[in-house]
Amino acid sequence: MKTIIRPILSIASKETKHIRRDPFTLAVALLLPLLFVWFFGFVINLDYHNIPLLVRDNDQSRSSRELLMQAGAAGYFDVVAVHSPAEAEKALQKNSMKGLLIIPPGFHDNLTRGDVARAQLLVDGSDNTLAALMNMYMQGISAAAQQALAVPRASEPNMIRTRYLFNPELNSRWFIVPALSTVIIGFLAIILTALTVAREWENGSMELLLSTPVRPFEIVLGKLLPYFALSFFDALLVFALALIVFHIPFMGSFLLYLLACTLFIIGSLALGLLISVLTRQQQAAIQFGFAIGLLPSFMFSGFIFPIENMPLFFRWFTGLFPQRWFLSLSRSLFLTEAGFKELAGPFAALFIFMFVMVALAVKKFKTDVEP
Amino acid sequence: MNKTIIRVENLIIAFGNFRAVDGISFEVSKGEIFGFLGANGAGKTTTIRALCGILNPTSGRVFVNGKDVAAATSVLKPHIGYMSQKFTLYPDLTVYENMDLAGSLYGLDRETVRRRSAELFDFIGLKNIPKGPVKHLSGGVKQMIALASSILHDPELLFLDEPTAGTSPQTRTSFWNLIRQLAAKGKTVFVTTHYMDEAEYCGRIVLMQRGRILALGTPEELKERYFPVRPKELTFCVHKQQETAQKIKRENWGLVSVFGSKLRVYVSNQTAFENFCRNSRDIFTCHDVPPSLDDVFLKAISGDK
Repeated sequence: MKTIIRPILSIASKETKHIRRDPFTLAVALLLPLLFVWFFGFVINLDYHNIPLLVRDNDQSRSSRELLMQAGAAGYFDVVAVHSPAEAEKALQKNSMKGLLIIPPGFHDNLTRGDVARAQLLVDGSDNTLAALMNMYMQGISAAAQQALAVPRASEPNMIRTRYLFNPELNSRWFIVPALSTVIIGFLAIILTALTVAREWENGSMELLLSTPVRPFEIVLGKLLPYFALSFFDALLVFALALIVFHIPFMGSFLLYLLACTLFIIGSLALGLLISVLTRQQQAAIQFGFAIGLLPSFMFSGFIFPIENMPLFFRWFTGLFPQRWFLSLSRSLFLTEAGFKELAGPFAALFIFMFVMVALAVKKFKTDVEP
Repeated sequence: MNKTIIRVENLIIAFGNFRAVDGISFEVSKGEIFGFLGANGAGKTTTIRALCGILNPTSGRVFVNGKDVAAATSVLKPHIGYMSQKFTLYPDLTVYENMDLAGSLYGLDRETVRRRSAELFDFIGLKNIPKGPVKHLSGGVKQMIALASSILHDPELLFLDEPTAGTSPQTRTSFWNLIRQLAAKGKTVFVTTHYMDEAEYCGRIVLMQRGRILALGTPEELKERYFPVRPKELTFCVHKQQETAQKIKRENWGLVSVFGSKLRVYVSNQTAFENFCRNSRDIFTCHDVPPSLDDVFLKAISGDK
């Protein structure tokens, strides 16, 4: 046993010294998370305010007025009333309005009877982010109106999905910040390790390592250890910032969160190593790292584009990316009280990812120096 | 007859269409200092890599201690020491951190590493081991430490790829003292070099050119084989080196190389050349010199062309 552990620890200790003495690696590892949190937490605010919204109230009832009042009061919309279809059309064509809310006659009656009461929201679809947000805000508003009117529980005026129940303030930060660790780890972990093996190939030290009895899995595990510590620290840092700076509630199990981080970090580090093992050049490794680490973290994880809104093929496609699974775990653990049973699927996916990546990195590790 | 430790059979290593090593065969005995000589790109490093088991032969076989290297790398590696030409030590680690790493990869504990390092540094004449990172050390000191780190685990077989490149004459002397001491203890040392004077220290040498072996033997054997007629040295009394060299070349009397203000001629047409010497006594005087390995190398290469 000792003969297996010792080479791993030797490589790990050498790697730790490389990290400690390389100001660039340390700076990237410590400053990048802060930069991301600052950027996505403070600078980018996905909440829109004062969106110009046309309203045509054909019901003129207590319920419709309550709904409109809530819409105006929330601050998301600047409500402009129109009184005829022609007027509405003219305003929409001038392109100054982002949407039109039409409340049909009988809205109030349906509502009080406990039937389904629906108002129609026409949205300018040319900005789909805004469109999705308007839809989301309007659902929140209608929920608020519903509460204010104290209508029977059975009737739900608009489509209200449970998805938004966990973020009743419709605060995008609650949504963004728990997901940030996905981007930070998914990118940073890959980039950090993508460089290490490639660097050893470029400077020739790999040749020397290979001439010793050390085995590929010992090199891979030895390199994973210190970078795991570094990435894990980053994950905890983002977690702490989310709670302390952004006051995001953490409802789930902290242990499960740590488990998710562990699986995701090891998998991502091993993916970085795999890239490094295959490219053997720092330049190429960085490019692959960006493509494989950064892009899916944003595009396919649900960080920016909700997976639920993707076409079926892409919904399946995103399943190939661990970022998606970690992100859903992170959001669920932050904003819901879900336990392991509910989250078994994403956990299984992350475990498979980690296992496959470590196995591939070891298997693909070249033990000869052929160019 | 000594025990054979390395046997190479018709080794070919090709990268695409390029044959870096093109069908070489030789044997090395235990306890021998075996020199590999050749210009850059002759295939020396490639051969060493194949012998260390870190490069797979395209065809042919390599045996170390009777075991096929390609099949038994993990068994052989603990008994092999390798000092690479390209990379010697991790520049951001200190001397002892480098030594500890090298030692631990061969399963040595820290005390053994320290004790062996001290012995080796002492032998090489390295005093006051610097505390800082290796990158601040001079090339020669780095080479010495790299050599020490490659023999920490007391390997049976040591591969040194241009160990003395870029080092001072004193360093080279202590290097070769250490190599001779290792060989005296029964270790086999396989060394490549650019320096022909170093090749004189080797038991046997191989001359390589474009992936092929031009010549193999002890330095004396090679000198006798290539110089049954000793090289001539022409010392000039008037400034006519260039004209003389051109004439010898034109008349095809032999190979000429310039040594400072003198010319050295490997004569091929002895009668004609001797006539020429007799008739040119007012221009230069001619006398025999003992051949050096430089002479052997130059002649061997010219014969290959």
